[in-house]
Amino acid sequence: MPRIAVLASAVADQIAAGEVVERPASVVKELVENALDAGASTVEIVVEDGGRTLVRVADDGHGMDREDAPLALARHATSKIRAAGDLVGVASFGFRGEALPAIASVSQLVLETSTGDGEGTRVVASAGTIERVEPAARRRGTTVSVRQLFANAPARLAFLKGSRSEWRAIADVVTTIALGRRDVRIVLSHDGKEALALPPASSLQARIGAVWGGAFAERLLAVEHAHGPTNVRGLVERPADVGTASRRVHLAVNGRAVRDAGLVRAAEAAYRSTIPAGTRPTLFLELTVPPDLVDVNVHPAKAEVRFRDRWPVERTVEEAVRHALGTFEAGAWFAPRPAATPGWAPMPERALLAAAPAAPVPLFDDDAEAAAPGGVATAAAAGAAVPPDAAEELAQRPPAEVLVPPLVQVGRTYLMFERADGLVLIDQHSAHERILYERFLRQLASGHAPSQQLLFPLTVHLGPAEAEAFEQHAALFAQLGYRAEGFGGHTVLVSAVPAPHPRFDAEQCLRDTLAQLTADRFAATPARHERLAATIACKAAVKAGDALSADEMRALYVALATTELPAHDVHGRSTVVHLRWDEIDRRFGRA
Amino acid sequence: MRFTITREKLQEGLSAVGASIPSKTTLPVLANILVETTDKGIRLSGTDLDIAVATEVAADVDSPGGITIPAKKLIEIARELPPNPVKVASSGDQRITLECGRSKFKLLGLPKDEFPAFPAVKFANALRIKSGELQQLISHVAFAVSTEESRPILNGVLWELRADRMRMVATNGHRLAKMELPVNGGGGSQDLIVPPKALEQIRRLFPAEEELEIAKGENHLGFRSPLTSVFTRLIEGPYPNYEQVIPKDNDKVCIADKALLTSAIKRMSVIASDQTHRIKLSFNAGMLKFAVQTPDLGEAQDEIPVRFDGDPIDIGFNASYLLEVLRFIPTDEVKLTLKAPERAATIEPEAWKDPAAFLALVMPLRLVD
Ligand SMILES: Nc1ncnc2c1ncn2[C@@H]1O[C@H](COP(=O)(O)OP(=O)(O)OP(=O)(O)O)[C@@H](O)[C@H]1O
Ligand SMILES: [Mg+2]
Repeated sequence: MPRIAVLASAVADQIAAGEVVERPASVVKELVENALDAGASTVEIVVEDGGRTLVRVADDGHGMDREDAPLALARHATSKIRAAGDLVGVASFGFRGEALPAIASVSQLVLETSTGDGEGTRVVASAGTIERVEPAARRRGTTVSVRQLFANAPARLAFLKGSRSEWRAIADVVTTIALGRRDVRIVLSHDGKEALALPPASSLQARIGAVWGGAFAERLLAVEHAHGPTNVRGLVERPADVGTASRRVHLAVNGRAVRDAGLVRAAEAAYRSTIPAGTRPTLFLELTVPPDLVDVNVHPAKAEVRFRDRWPVERTVEEAVRHALGTFEAGAWFAPRPAATPGWAPMPERALLAAAPAAPVPLFDDDAEAAAPGGVATAAAAGAAVPPDAAEELAQRPPAEVLVPPLVQVGRTYLMFERADGLVLIDQHSAHERILYERFLRQLASGHAPSQQLLFPLTVHLGPAEAEAFEQHAALFAQLGYRAEGFGGHTVLVSAVPAPHPRFDAEQCLRDTLAQLTADRFAATPARHERLAATIACKAAVKAGDALSADEMRALYVALATTELPAHDVHGRSTVVHLRWDEIDRRFGRA
Repeated sequence: MRFTITREKLQEGLSAVGASIPSKTTLPVLANILVETTDKGIRLSGTDLDIAVATEVAADVDSPGGITIPAKKLIEIARELPPNPVKVASSGDQRITLECGRSKFKLLGLPKDEFPAFPAVKFANALRIKSGELQQLISHVAFAVSTEESRPILNGVLWELRADRMRMVATNGHRLAKMELPVNGGGGSQDLIVPPKALEQIRRLFPAEEELEIAKGENHLGFRSPLTSVFTRLIEGPYPNYEQVIPKDNDKVCIADKALLTSAIKRMSVIASDQTHRIKLSFNAGMLKFAVQTPDLGEAQDEIPVRFDGDPIDIGFNASYLLEVLRFIPTDEVKLTLKAPERAATIEPEAWKDPAAFLALVMPLRLVD
């Protein structure tokens, strides 16, 4: 049991000051964090009437002795730091010595605590004044009960919302803590009803499953990425699911849940071109950064952190999420690559392959929870199934190695092939659009687009709006391979055109692209070059209804498999649909 | 209608007409073949509304008449019949029976009145051209047409008829093929833009030695031999002024062995991008070097000896355009002429002893920098 001491005022003054206790949820947060700082393995939270009547948090942590227990209610009294220097890289949730005195000052507070040897202690305080310190029987651990919150602070009482919304805020706070501390059993009840009962979980996915259900957790994609000293792990929503359920965002930095609009934006940027504009993905991301590169002491409720240099952190988050989306898709939708035998092999018997799963083993299944030892299991478990360099390899394998399964074109719209676990349909237009989008973006970034010289220059007559759009994007069009000159009025003379594929219709594509650019001039747009790449990719891609030769289908498959985000077109629609055998069997009544 | 026909004659007639039946159509009768009796036998006709083909084959007609029969089924049946005479009869507007030895089929057709009328083309002042000469032009030029919908004119082959020569030209705007033959005593001068699909039928249907009558209707062109006729829609011109883009001042001339050149380009194509097929050619004194680089895939180099003594030049091309043209070069050696990296190159047969003349243009494929 670390001893409590009052911080020197010079130290206390350096701590981000402000309102610690705004509402019942802040009380719950502070008490639960104290319990976790005390090394609890079980935390039980009881709330009545949205926290107005009662908030009680009981833990089985190290407790306090008779001497320390009353000290805990003194301002700037903490066992967690001693000097200002300890603030750097502080690992405990608490460090200010502010929470208990702040809570005590606006409530009737009873603290019962025991270190496990000898008698326990009860401290009874009213509106910040200690009324009694007395012996009490208690097992090792601490229980803090807070009653009549804000009874002596009518101004704050007036600001409380209805008990339902205060309760919701409490449930949010507890959930957030529970996601981060999966090693701890957490039980939460409201007005006598159990709301959450979370056993220790072996992974983030397991904890999410325990809170929101296994089906939700299973649909999420694992994030696992490191860049320099920054490590990002977690789970994010599949692009196809984004917008289908209410959005949740959980961000933690070095184990501390934080709000950070910049990091969220970075994660969302990774989804760009895979989800419709305006929809936002669910994110559960945990960052590890060197403690000296992040300052946790910037917000009174510790809800924000400050990075010494936030740009590399944001970039790593974006990379991490993009990588997760890309790896998932490359791995999930395309034909399995045989481990040892190189070259093309005919599709093996379905039954044979089904016996040996081709897809990566799920990171978490229902048994894992039972199998997990009671001890500390953290996000490290989540990464173990897929070594990072294997994931890397998967995303970067050169096109020559793509194993192309036998493909058939159906409805002149889809390419279909068989996998061990079902049938896969690829939308030829969407897929081609995705391929061209990424290629055009690369060409805009690096130059070197192939440009086919024309025998007869195209004379393209444009409307005023199209001519203006052309003017605005002239440099970008040139980078993509269009060599064009104004020819008086709204006419452009095109002497060279891009050559993205043999069926490319340069004039039609130019017209359609300009028409589109003028049509959604006021649409919310990411960078101009991205929009041009997306628009032109859409217009240049093969269409539904185009009959494709066997070679074209293979080329399309290979090119798609080597894109960064193969499963989504630039509008966020799916390029790939997977029909599982069990689904097909079920439809035939073979289940 | 009732007639008897040999299995062979039936198959012959069906194979001539079968290719003109559209594989997908919204007008059901187009999936059928029109069968009518004539003085000497029967006439089979099919059309997709762009092209119409009719051919006459010998048969013993018992009673005259006509009906349309589902083409696909009729062709499949004819293929599987035993080698016996085939008796075909219709009853009413739609019912057909077909008997051959002990095999017997009943089919449901459509009334012959539903079959579209063929275009009106008068053969009174028809031109006469030997089928073989036409075939030579078609087979060297038609490959080069465009498939881009936005330039429908380039979807056709330009056929120029003059008093002393005829010429075909096709291009997709990236490369062009042109062939010309001397002819004697042809009629006036005409420029026709013909869909390549129709030309393919012409090439396929008429024996080389046959003389064809060719006549123009309002929007259509008709080709006729004593037994078979083909009609096609014409594409409206004018065709772009291609003569103007044929370079006259290409001062760098290279003579290369066609086989060496072809195989070097094929090797480069392995590495060239599937989508753009770009390869780089470097012409130097006595040597032509090839290079290709495809990000994510790799690179390759090659070289072949050539006759070249101009200033060195580096130029990029779509390899598949070069290979395509080389296939139609009738001589062992090929002549390339060049001017600059953004200007058209010409490709011609070298030392060709033939009254015909063949020329191809290929525009370079550059990299934006
Ligand atoms: N549940 C608990 N079990 C054991 N000790 C506790 C518990 N709650 C509080 N303490 C002790 O009381 C001290 C004061 O707690 P308090 O929450 O006021 O401050 P803190 O946690 O140190 O810092 P902060 O104000 O940032 O939360 C702690 O430092 C700790 O030593
Ligand atoms: Mg605390």
